[in-house]
Amino acid sequence: MRWVDFKQSLSEFWSDFKRQKSGLLGIGLLILFIFTAVAAPVLTSPDIPDKWQEFWLDNPKNVPPVWVNAFSGEKKAAHLIIEGEALQKLITETDSGYRIEVTYNNEYDVPPQDIVIKDLVGNADGGKPSITVMVERPDGREVTLIENYKFSGKIVLQLGTHPQVRANLINWIKSEGIQIDPLQEFQYRTLMDATKVIFGKFNENILEHPEPLKGTYKFTILVNVPEGTSVSFDDARIIFTGRTYGWLGTDFKGRDLLSGIIWGSRVSLVIGISVAVVSVLIGIFYGVTSAYLGGWKDEIMMRFQEFMASIPSLPILILMGAYFGGHIALWQIVVLLAIFGWVGIARVARSMALQIKEQTYVEAAKVLGAGTGRIIFKHMVPQLLPYAFAQMALSVPGAVLSEASLSYLGLGDPTAVTWGQILHDAQTAGAAVNGYWWWVIPPGLAIALVGLTFVLIGTALDRVLNPRLRRL
Amino acid sequence: MGFGKYLVIRILNALIVLTIVTLVMSALFVKVAEKDLQETIIQRVNAEFQALQQKGQTPEDPDAWRAQRLEYYRSMYHLDKPYWWRVQYYFKRTLTFDFGKTKNPVFGSEKDVVAILKTAIPRTIQLFTTAQIIIIVLGILLGVKAAQMVGSLFDRALSIIALIMSSIPMWWFGMIMLLVFSFKLGWFPSRAIPDPNLTGWAHIADILKRMTLPVLTIVIVSFGAWAWVIRNIMIGTMQEDFIMAARAKGIPERKVIYGHALRAAAPPVVTMIIFSLLGSLGGAIITESVFTWPGMGRVYWIAIETNETNLIMGLTFVNVLLYLAGVIIADLAYGFLDPRVKVGASEHM
Repeated sequence: MRWVDFKQSLSEFWSDFKRQKSGLLGIGLLILFIFTAVAAPVLTSPDIPDKWQEFWLDNPKNVPPVWVNAFSGEKKAAHLIIEGEALQKLITETDSGYRIEVTYNNEYDVPPQDIVIKDLVGNADGGKPSITVMVERPDGREVTLIENYKFSGKIVLQLGTHPQVRANLINWIKSEGIQIDPLQEFQYRTLMDATKVIFGKFNENILEHPEPLKGTYKFTILVNVPEGTSVSFDDARIIFTGRTYGWLGTDFKGRDLLSGIIWGSRVSLVIGISVAVVSVLIGIFYGVTSAYLGGWKDEIMMRFQEFMASIPSLPILILMGAYFGGHIALWQIVVLLAIFGWVGIARVARSMALQIKEQTYVEAAKVLGAGTGRIIFKHMVPQLLPYAFAQMALSVPGAVLSEASLSYLGLGDPTAVTWGQILHDAQTAGAAVNGYWWWVIPPGLAIALVGLTFVLIGTALDRVLNPRLRRL
Repeated sequence: MGFGKYLVIRILNALIVLTIVTLVMSALFVKVAEKDLQETIIQRVNAEFQALQQKGQTPEDPDAWRAQRLEYYRSMYHLDKPYWWRVQYYFKRTLTFDFGKTKNPVFGSEKDVVAILKTAIPRTIQLFTTAQIIIIVLGILLGVKAAQMVGSLFDRALSIIALIMSSIPMWWFGMIMLLVFSFKLGWFPSRAIPDPNLTGWAHIADILKRMTLPVLTIVIVSFGAWAWVIRNIMIGTMQEDFIMAARAKGIPERKVIYGHALRAAAPPVVTMIIFSLLGSLGGAIITESVFTWPGMGRVYWIAIETNETNLIMGLTFVNVLLYLAGVIIADLAYGFLDPRVKVGASEHM
């Protein structure tokens, strides 16, 4: 085949393909997916796969995406991290150490889950440094949340659950003249949702049913540094842990689900496409060879094909998963799926090849003394390429589904981020039953969309390349 | 070639496949079980040693005692035998349904793999056949209707539904169903394990209520693709001459379709029914685990999560067995319904 012919046939194909609306939609979706997969490190961050198995400590757990606020009457706090440059601007030096002033504008019905002061490092050579946190509320009341909390090394100070903060809040409420039942006081000391009180309207219900008090809160953090001691703010962070997070919320480990979905597209596309290409190629060569050889060789090859066809793939794949120690690496999944994937195609390819075999040019090539390999590769397989291309596209969804199913069963590659694995975690954590829809819906939709993309492309290719199948 | 001879050949073929697959499975399994058994043995010997220590009967030479105990257990579990001997040993055991016991009880206090499977398989079949009967009826009705009105809005809609549903993971759809009907609306229980305190009618109503969501899930995800294939087969059949003849004779349209056309299309339809039954079994099994329906799927989930090798082996074997039985039945049905074909590789071409 000369280059000129190739170019011409390609442009002919394209002008035909352009008329297939669904095919174009498929191509558009495919470009979108490829872009997402390639740009994953840029869109999120390159270290996602490395830290995917860990807990993301800074993030809230099991919270919905930020945009739920647009649909519900109750505004939930967004996630806010103050670090680096932004934090350095808030720090001023004083005689006894440092003073950090943070203003937080609470415009939510449900305040942040927690206020965390994190990774502040104290080097205690002399006395230990200590922290005092005060807040000035929009109603003018001032509360000292924690006083002279001594620390050394890295600290993680969670104000929302700290016993001293709870005690201070109770004492403050009492000093403002509100009675608390002594029996209940003990309960509040151990179980109070402190942030709801900090950001709550001041009335007698502040402990029982805190109502949100919106406005600007001024937090003052005083760090007392004794002589001979130093404090480093390099990695320090102040986190107002949200009740919502990002575009797709978080899961039980606090992982950002959007980045999981974006990285998962890589695995899906790579596995889907490579399995489809490999298994279709094997199937075509197998079928053509079988047809061309004929006789007892054909018989043996077809017996083997039947044998492969009568093995159910899923149970065997699960057994393989157990064999590989409960986890199948990605390349192993590709190999296994290809082993089971070529079978159906081989049968169709053989019946097509049987017709091609009778054509005169194959006869002519034989008479000219062409070898078996040459006839199969040069004269027969190219005839089947149109069918092969369409089949490749149509085999992708099955491969993607199989990979997702294996990952869902917990047999996937633990080092990779995949959609099936996200769903496995969701099932284990009872996400559907607890109503964490943002954890269940997106991964499945992504799987379905990839499947749909290739079905659209495949059916369009089929119509263009195999005109016999044009719509009735 | 007579039907009897043909039957024998198909069954022989299936037996050969079963033998080879079981042999491969055993070879894999021996490797997996080896790691497992070694851990078990070391744990046991350690436990024995501690028990002796507590009694104050510590052996004089602990290392020699340990080695001797390890050796004893190794021979008990045949770990001292060569690899291939163990493979054939497991192979024989598997073929005689001797899968041993699980490490931890499944379904209450049951540890015997065969007993667990005996409890689970009927439940899977119950769920699955219910769903499939609905799918077949729906599929035939809708498929025939679409074939009558090719290119209509209904036909297009069916094609689109079939297209979209074929790329949705069934088990994910199950999760969505739970999210909507169990969490949001609270119409159905979220766990499919029946309430043990109910008897009689209440018990049956309870089971039906718990079956609804899983059955609906299987039906909604599968029926589109099904109806679509039936439509394609029917379109082919409706263009045959004998249909024209029947119409010309003035036979009512309904009779033409359901009497003549569907009967002629029966062989491929029946084969497809059986093959799609087999094909969707895997998906349905995974779906079970979403609803904690206590069938094979649930057992699979437990077996994988708790690393129960014996149980996985048993499940795999039974699955292959069911699948092969299905393939034979499909072949036989085809050969029986369509006298023109004798199925088999060499007969086809």
